[in-house]
Amino acid sequence: MFSNIFINRIKSSIRAKDMIFWTWIFPILIATLFSFALGDIDKAEQLDIINVAVVDNNAYRQNEYFNKALDEVSKSGDNQLFSLTYVSSASQADTLLENGDIDGYIIVDKQPELIVKENGLNQTIMKNFLDSYQQTYSSIMNIASNNPQALNHISVNSVNEIESFTEEISLSSNKPSATVTYFYALLAMVCLYGAFQGLSSVLHMQSNLSSVGIRNSLAPINKLRIVLYDLFGGFTVHLACLFIVLGYIIFVLGIDFGNKALFIVLTCIIGSIVGVAMGALITAATKWSEIVKTAIIICISMVFCFMAGLMISGINYIIAQNIPILAWINPAALISDAFYCLYFYDDLNRYFLDIGVLIIMAVVMLLGTAILLRRQKYESI
Amino acid sequence: MVINVQNLVKRYGDLVALDHFNLQINEGEIFGLLGPNGSGKTTAINCILSLLKYDKGTVEIFNKPMSPDAYDIKRNIGIVLQNIAVFNELTVYENINYFCGLYIPQKTKRQQLVKEAIDFVGLNDYQKFLPKKLSGGLLRRLNIACGIAHKPKLIILDEPTVAVDPQSRNNILEGIQNLNKDGATIIYTTHYMEEAEHICSRIMIMDNGKAVATGTKEQLKSMINTGEKITVELYQLDNKNLYEIKQIKDVTQADFSENRLTVHFIKGRHNLINLLGYLQNKDIPFGRVYSEPPTLNDVFLEITGKQLRD
Repeated sequence: MFSNIFINRIKSSIRAKDMIFWTWIFPILIATLFSFALGDIDKAEQLDIINVAVVDNNAYRQNEYFNKALDEVSKSGDNQLFSLTYVSSASQADTLLENGDIDGYIIVDKQPELIVKENGLNQTIMKNFLDSYQQTYSSIMNIASNNPQALNHISVNSVNEIESFTEEISLSSNKPSATVTYFYALLAMVCLYGAFQGLSSVLHMQSNLSSVGIRNSLAPINKLRIVLYDLFGGFTVHLACLFIVLGYIIFVLGIDFGNKALFIVLTCIIGSIVGVAMGALITAATKWSEIVKTAIIICISMVFCFMAGLMISGINYIIAQNIPILAWINPAALISDAFYCLYFYDDLNRYFLDIGVLIIMAVVMLLGTAILLRRQKYESI
Repeated sequence: MVINVQNLVKRYGDLVALDHFNLQINEGEIFGLLGPNGSGKTTAINCILSLLKYDKGTVEIFNKPMSPDAYDIKRNIGIVLQNIAVFNELTVYENINYFCGLYIPQKTKRQQLVKEAIDFVGLNDYQKFLPKKLSGGLLRRLNIACGIAHKPKLIILDEPTVAVDPQSRNNILEGIQNLNKDGATIIYTTHYMEEAEHICSRIMIMDNGKAVATGTKEQLKSMINTGEKITVELYQLDNKNLYEIKQIKDVTQADFSENRLTVHFIKGRHNLINLLGYLQNKDIPFGRVYSEPPTLNDVFLEITGKQLRD
């Protein structure tokens, strides 16, 4: 009995071209589009090293603290801020500035001064560096004149420790990324599209909506058994589609999902179950036609995906901060967050919390479907 | 008794779809539910099968109360719906196999039954076809095969010949008679009186959710006063003769057009002799003569005052 229903469901699902398009081809197209559109965003967010010239005059050479401070931010490595070019005169520096070879130059007289040609991000960073140096230098000079003993507690190197206050701090071995969340939300959308499989399964048991429903309702088997076997067939096909999309995103588009493969598979399975269960519940709970039910499923899925950050990155965090209940009842946000946890956090507590809530959702929705379908008779057919 | 329905009442708001409907069907019958569209035939079937809620009454099938989870009853029922009830993504064979599989879990037995069903409806050449590739008639045959493959004892056919070409219709009707010969009890709903007359052993005429008459076709025809309709081929007939024909005993209506005299009688003896006697007496030469007994449409017309296909 199981194999009869299960196998025929798989066959009919695979041959249903519209369903395959929405759960397989469409997400692949969107993922490809994302890849083209978002590919340079992470790169754009990284700061380029700023080309700065320094006039190598006597005043500069004698200013030991400033020398050291510049050396510190010009060391090659991840935190390198400036690439220094030493020139012998201000006129040489002016020429480089005119040619666009540098963003600005520093000339030391009594105090270091910055010369720039135009305003911009790089010029602002250079100015902030000089301001920060001068504030720190002044503070130490004040302490030296007012309370020389306190200098014992201050390292001379403090003057050189000029660091950004907005340094990127990672909680894991992976770098934070603005783009991966789009792909996670897209996968969450594919999971929720499992709702179409749920719709199809329950619709084929509703004799007021389909002729096949009448035939199935007259079969000498518990209606819930047929629905369950049928849902399992639909879920299997949907999961296969989801894995194809996932494989495409990881191996073809090169999007990083971290290295916890088993948990990624688990997330896909739970996400698919939630999607299928959501479709089954919506179909069982509403009395409208198939077209209306389909429209409801599309609307709900899209709203959930919007709130999970599919259309606007970061909206999920805004919702989580301001209306946390919406984040907890949104399966797309939970699925997306689960993928992000696997990528970004070494600690899996938050991931398991997401998965736990998703499992509770799936159980509640499947139970609700069963209660609604049990011994169902209709007022009209 | 295969089906026993007592005082079934089904309302849709203020509309009474079934009004104290009673139905008894015996084993081995081909029972026809005849009535115009909207008379309550399909509603009655859906209530009998526990697909629809009803307001009042009892339904027993195989002498047991029918309910949505009466699986031992359902096991012996096959249904052929007015609308095609198949999966569009499954082939002819897969569809029949699927629906048969809901009743017959054993694979070997099921394969045999599916083969027999395909043979029965003549779809051997179309086993791997998807439904969308089939013509209307072939699709109806597939619909029938899906309903009868598990060899049910009770088969309900709800207008199975709607929108079917004459050849396929004849095949379907012949098939239904063969199913009955093999031992199945048949309920056949239709609004085509010719079909009901042709295959049904007993007929119930329905109108406005009520059973207005039940019996064999002969019993139904005997319930009315309408007699035969006699048509005679003539060269010509003047108005005086036509008037005198209308005065013949038991004549209710007489018309002459296109060299044909058509005369309707109420039930009575010697109607044909009286008419032909008049024509001979008046030296009116005539050709071929046709006599048609009253139809179920006449029965319906006389009982309800309207045509069956209104």
